[in-house]
Amino acid sequence: MTTNNSHRSAGDVLTGFERQITQDRVDAYAEASGDHNPIHLNEEYASTTQFGTRIAHGMLSLALVTEMLASEFPDTWHDGGKLKVRFSAPVFPGEIVTTYGEITGISEEDGQIIATCTIGCKKTDGTDAVSGRATVALE
Amino acid sequence: MTVPLISTATVGHEFGPYDVTIPTERANAYAKAVGGAESPDYGDSLAPTMVVAAALTELIEDLGLFSGGLQTIHAGQEVSWTRPVKIGEKLDAIGRLAANSVRRGNHFATVSVSYKDSTGSEIGTSSTTIIVIGEES
Repeated sequence: MTTNNSHRSAGDVLTGFERQITQDRVDAYAEASGDHNPIHLNEEYASTTQFGTRIAHGMLSLALVTEMLASEFPDTWHDGGKLKVRFSAPVFPGEIVTTYGEITGISEEDGQIIATCTIGCKKTDGTDAVSGRATVALE
Repeated sequence: MTVPLISTATVGHEFGPYDVTIPTERANAYAKAVGGAESPDYGDSLAPTMVVAAALTELIEDLGLFSGGLQTIHAGQEVSWTRPVKIGEKLDAIGRLAANSVRRGNHFATVSVSYKDSTGSEIGTSSTTIIVIGEES
């Protein structure tokens, strides 16, 4: 199935979603990525760190943001998409994050129509866990 | 205590190549970790950030950040991809230390990674910035 995104314009809001980052998700992400750092998995160890408890992998939060991008731009995100983000705050198991995005500009590069988007995910207290920018072709 | 490589490596230091081929089991674990009702259907393809995460794990290991009680923060990430990646597709990742400095007792390192398919063609790049808290050089 193809999705026509050629009608998109600056100011369009991307469809975000909520996800609770459970410890089960963190454990599964450790299996997927191979990152078994105890700060994500071992509460006893994590309690000795600056965070005082386990934290989710930053890449797990970023993965949720890219799920949003892949849903919005299914034909092009994995075929020329770019992103640049910073990880602003840790996400603790049990917290809910909400992805967000907005097209901030449309331009033409090498014959392609490219959308520039602000992207990220926020915690329920409104702080950004991940924030940054993505570019993706619209068709 | 062994001195971690991040304390001694100079800019330009190369890492890998790492085999970052993602088998079905790990793709399934990724879906369990990330997936939900809104998830796109990847078919037999992968989210590129999963390949990046696999390479990052190898890099952190080689930089010596899994040992010695060092507290590491993943501060920033860039990713670009030129085509979809299939589950089980042979991919290699080659890293290069792009920046490495100590500021106010904290270590800042940036590693750039190139992802190549079995033909040797680059199909993606990433750049990871890591902060090691209180790590003295």
